[in-house]
Order: sequence, then structure tokens, then C-alpha cells
Amino acid sequence: MDFLKVTSSPHMRHEDSTRIIMLDVLIALCPALIWAVIVFGARALILTLVSVASCVLFEFLYRLIMKKPCSVGDLSAAVTGVLLAFCLPVSVPIWLPVVGSFFAIVIVKQLYGGIGKNVVNPALAARVFLFLAYPDKLGGSAFTIPKASLPLFGNVNLTPDVVASATPLANLSEGAAPTEDIFTLFLGERAGCIGEVSILMILAGALYLLVRKIITWHIPVAYIVTVAVVSYIFPASGMDAVQYVLCELCSGGLMLGAFFMATDYTTSPVSAKGRIIYGIGCGLITMFVRNCGGYPEGVSFAILIMNCLAWYIDKFTRPRVFGGAKKNVKK
Amino acid sequence: MAITFSGGIHVDGCKGTKTKAIENMPAPEFVALPLQQHIGAPVKATVAVGDRVTMGQVIGRNDNALSCPVHASVSGTVEKIETRNSYMGAGKTEYVIIKNDGEYELCESITPLEKKVTDLTCDEVIDLVREAGISGMGGATFPAYAKIQSAVGKAKELIINCAECEPFITANHRLLLERPMDVINGAKILMIALGLSKATFAIEDNKKNAAKVLEESLLDDKMFSVKLLKTKYPQGDERQIVYALNHVQIPTGKLPADVGCVIFNAETCDAIYHAVVDRMPLIARTVTIDGDCIAESKNLRIPLGTSYRDVIEYCGGIKGKLSKLINGGPMMGNTQWDLDGTVTKGTSALLFFSDKYEKKAAPCCIHCGKCVSVCPMHLEPVYLALFAKSGELDKCLDYNLMSCMECGSCSFICPGNVPIVQYIRKAKDKIKAKPKQQ
Repeated sequence: MDFLKVTSSPHMRHEDSTRIIMLDVLIALCPALIWAVIVFGARALILTLVSVASCVLFEFLYRLIMKKPCSVGDLSAAVTGVLLAFCLPVSVPIWLPVVGSFFAIVIVKQLYGGIGKNVVNPALAARVFLFLAYPDKLGGSAFTIPKASLPLFGNVNLTPDVVASATPLANLSEGAAPTEDIFTLFLGERAGCIGEVSILMILAGALYLLVRKIITWHIPVAYIVTVAVVSYIFPASGMDAVQYVLCELCSGGLMLGAFFMATDYTTSPVSAKGRIIYGIGCGLITMFVRNCGGYPEGVSFAILIMNCLAWYIDKFTRPRVFGGAKKNVKK
Repeated sequence: MAITFSGGIHVDGCKGTKTKAIENMPAPEFVALPLQQHIGAPVKATVAVGDRVTMGQVIGRNDNALSCPVHASVSGTVEKIETRNSYMGAGKTEYVIIKNDGEYELCESITPLEKKVTDLTCDEVIDLVREAGISGMGGATFPAYAKIQSAVGKAKELIINCAECEPFITANHRLLLERPMDVINGAKILMIALGLSKATFAIEDNKKNAAKVLEESLLDDKMFSVKLLKTKYPQGDERQIVYALNHVQIPTGKLPADVGCVIFNAETCDAIYHAVVDRMPLIARTVTIDGDCIAESKNLRIPLGTSYRDVIEYCGGIKGKLSKLINGGPMMGNTQWDLDGTVTKGTSALLFFSDKYEKKAAPCCIHCGKCVSVCPMHLEPVYLALFAKSGELDKCLDYNLMSCMECGSCSFICPGNVPIVQYIRKAKDKIKAKPKQQ
């Protein structure tokens, strides 16, 4: 008879694979996508699909050309594609996500060795790259009002009747209250990037991720609480502190960033303690940029900076071994 | 509220055999008894080819080292003594092969104890347990007499480990349902020997019926208590069980006795009871037979030395494509090369698996940290695997590699299919092989 298979234990494995986890993230992003289509029209969907398709294609081509095993099946490139589109305004040209995808997949992810090895979040790095390379297309004047009628594929004419006067965050950074009431902000009928506007939809997706145990609470809670505390201590002049806190929480990309970007496995710490420190760091930098920086939004910068620190945070927040001495004495 | 430890994993129990009563499997024509079935030194054969042996007669012993004597599990003649591949892991072991004469003539040393159990001294119990060849029957196979010795004067509490946290295995569960008094009496003997007045049965809450049987059997005994533990792997590990019960972490490199506990597996207690009262050595044990490739899953009491082939035949044969045969549980058991191995003192289960429990994806760590959250020893398996793979042994040690008990929770949970425990084992072997620099 044939020899039996001899392997190292354990001989049972949990059914979750990288592919299933990424599929769960895609499912969790769906409510926000549906809302984007409702508020910004089908162009939002088309941009997202272009972004996903180009991310997957670049991943496939890179692995093919470099003669590495194909990794498209783990769906991580598709997640990057959705997240990249989610942090672009709906008015960007259709080809822009393709440029972003190349930067995200080839330069940020694959050149460092692919999934699990990249230092910073590919989607966010690509967003910042696009933001700096095409300031007119991603800047403050590129945000359109909700329910504006935009061409499906063609370039958007940024005429005064479609351009939003200011995003809620732009208002806040100038020390003014957003024009929308807090309920509208929470629901998401406002100007902003494709996937960031509806707090309700993002929370629905986040709840799914938490229930499925894809993410833990540490990073998003530490992040959001830090933002809330800092904005409570330093409220904008002339605004009620609580109202200001709620506006800060519901504007910009904070929720999308806290639940879907900062929790990216590869670029965040692994221990509970490390994750809390990382979340607090994200919150502090976000508020620093929002209140003291030249840009209205600081989420992408905050997460990218903390990404670079993640491995060091891991190094200094090692859990105490079970049964180990109270203080880890260094030799 | 069930008590537990932090970390660990929830595994589908797959305990389909929990309703299957223990059957006595008749001894086969030949039994092959390895001369090392325990942790410690191998024993030396005390019989020669052609000798007639009786059931329960010592056929191998080594009184000068940590070891357990090996006894004949049938009566008959010694057919041959040969060296075979060890079925407990790497290396080779000597086997004594006995041809069963079908008489089952008991060795004349097996006579009921003349003394009252309560009059036994600690040393007498240790001698009886050692003479009976009892090793820990949960799977680790540490000689039981040595464990009693290590606890003398230190232990204040006896813990009877009935957690049985590995999936599939129900042998202890059945034993507790069918012969609770044997286990309880074994525990009482240990308490007499060690002068203890407190004993705790620690049992996972997926065995509530067995917990109830224990409680009813212990109604007016104030010294005993039954504690329900949360069903979670590896709840049956000594360190985790002590933590769940007493909220004490056993310090690194110390034994349970150092925090006042001594832990025996339920079936070990049963074996100790019979070793002391009937002076019956350990020559058979309860084994759960399960898996998707065995025709009939069962709980069997199998004479030691029975080959896997005989077990398969008794259980109606193999069905489907057998990929793995596991001696022990699916989380920590050893896969076997072929079907010529035999049931030994550490065989708590024989599992016949097709490849349906395997993940096929190529290993790729995505740094998700799930291994960190499940590690019951609070290690960071993600980094241990990284350093072990790249051969950075110093960093492995710095990250407390040696505290890993290889429970397999990290490999189990890993979505990237990384064989973390395998990397850790290899690194441990390399570290142990390196000469110590002082």
C-alpha cells in the first residue's frame, strides 16, 4: 500500500483563508458602495470597478512578468482597488484610478514582496501620490455636491453648479460649523470622497467585520476616541464642544480610515497593546494635521506615518509570556 | 459560569463518539510492544525469544532511569525482539513481539492488595504505580510515579484533568460516565499518598452529563469539587488548567507542584486505582477510533501492542482515501508512516483522516496577528515563525521560543496556512542540538 502522509501537527485548520477574509472585507465595503451610487450616481460604481480591475490586472501582470506564483486569487488586490476608489472624489477622470492602481500595486505592494510584506497601506499611499501629483483633480475644488448629474465616463466639467462650496471638513478647518446638520453628516448626504461620506454605511460594514472577527476593536476604538478627546479639549471657537466632536467624527475620512485602512493587517501591529498605541498615534496625527496643518484632512498622513512605525510598536509592546517574570529583564 | 484561560481557539469538537460506550476489543494474534512508551529512558527487555510470558508479566524494565516498566498484554510466547521505527516521533525503538496463546493467563504477581488502602504509605503507592508501568495517559506519557514524587510535600491540591479538549477524543468522557468510581478512587489513593485534603475535577462544559455523574458520586464528600471549564482548546494543558482554576500562572520553567498543584489525567487515575487495589499493570487503554475514513467510529479498550491493522479490521475497515493516520488528537497527535504501528500507553485516539481537513493554499503570512491573539502562552508566533524560518535562533530565544508548548493553535487559526508550529519545532531542535556555551 501507499505510504501515509506524515506532517507536523496540527492536522486540522480553521476554514478561514486569506481569500475568505478579503472577501469579507469586500462584503463589508458594499454598503458604503451602494450609498456612493445613491449619492454620487453610477459614476462612483464605474470608478470603483475601473480601480478594482486595474489593481487586479497590475497584480496579475507583475506576478506573471516576475515569474512568481499568481496571487490574484487572494483578493487582496481587489480590496486595494475598492479602497483606492473610495478615497477619490467622484469627479476624477476615469483613467486616474489606473495610475493610482499602478502606484499602489506595483510600487507600494509588489516591489516590497507582495501581501504581508509591504510597509505602508497601498491604497492610502496611492491616494497621497495622486493628491500631490494632481492637486486640481483631488483638491478641495474637485468635490461635487450630492446628487449632481455627472457624465458616466467622460470628464467632469467642474462648473459652479456642480462643485460643492466646501466639504464639511473644509468648513471645520476654517473654524466654521459645517452647513449640514449632524444627522445628515451621519447619513452621508454631503460632498466628499466616494466611500467616506456615509458614517452609517461604514459602521454597518465595520460591524460585520467585527462580528466575523476579521478586525479587532483596538485600532478603530483607540483612533476614534483619541480624535474625540483631542477635539473635545481643543474645540473650534464659537462651537459647542460636543457638537464639534460629533462634526469631527462624522466628517472627512476618519471612519473609513479607522475601520478599513488603519486595520490593514500587514501594516498594523499584532498585539492588543500595540494596536491601541497605534490607534492613539493615528488619532493624534490626524488631529494635528486637521487643526495645525495646511490640509483639511489628516487621516491618510496619520495612517501612513503610523504604518511606518508599526513594526517598532510591535517590538516594544511584546506581551509578557505566560508565566514570565513581571518585568522582562533584558540580558 | 464556566472558567477558562486567555487565548486559545474554538474548534469544532467533532465528538461524534461521545454516545458510544467503551467496548473491549479482543487481543489479536500478535502484539508488538515498544520498549519506550513514555518520556524518559527506554527500558531493557527482560525476556528472550522463545520465553513463555503471562499476561501482566514484566517484559522490560530499567530501574536506574526515569522510565516505566513494560508488561505483556497477553499470555503467550515471545516471537521475536526487533528494532523498528519509533511511532512516537523520530528515531528507532526496540519492540517485543508476543504470539498470543489465547489463554490470557494472569501473571501470579497480580493479586489483590492485602492491606487497607488507607494504611498505604506514599512510598508504597509510588512503588505500586511504578511497578504497574503507568505513564500519563493524556498523551504526554510522563511517568506517573515520578510525578507523584515531584509533588510530595509541595502539592496542596490534586487536579483531575477531565478537560479532553482535543477534538474527536471522547475516551475520558466515556470513562467518567461508565466507571466514575474507579477514577474517583484513583484520585483518593493519590490524595492518601500525598496527604492532600482537596481535589478538583476540571471538566469542559461540553461534558455536562459526566460532570453531573461526578457530582452525584461525590455528594457527601467535602474534599472533592467539580469545576466546569469553558470548552476551548488547549484547556487541558496543565498550565492553562491551573490558571483557569486558581488564576495562577505557573512560572516559566517550573512545574505545577511549584504552585501547589498536581495534575493527573482521568484515565491515569483509573489506571492508578487498578494498579494499587488489584495490582493490575497498565496493559490496555481506552482509545477513541474516529475520522472520516474509518467504517465505524468507536470507543475501544484495546490491549497495548495491538497493531493499527487489527484495529481497522475490528472497526469494519477503511472507507474512502486514507491520507493520514493520527496517533492522538488532531491538534497534537503524531501522524504515522504506515499501519504497522501499535497502540501504546500514550494512544488516546486513532484518527483516520482523508485530506478534507487540510488547507491547500501556499503558505503566506499576511501579518494578521490572529496567532498572537490565540496563543495561550502569550507569545508572538508570527515573529517566532519569521525568525525560525530565517534561522535567527537568538531572536527566537529572545521571543521566548522555548515557552511554546506546540499546542498548534497558531497554525490552526492562520489564514495564510503557515505551518508555524513546524517552524518552531525545527528551531527548537536546532537550539537543543547546539552545544551550550557557558
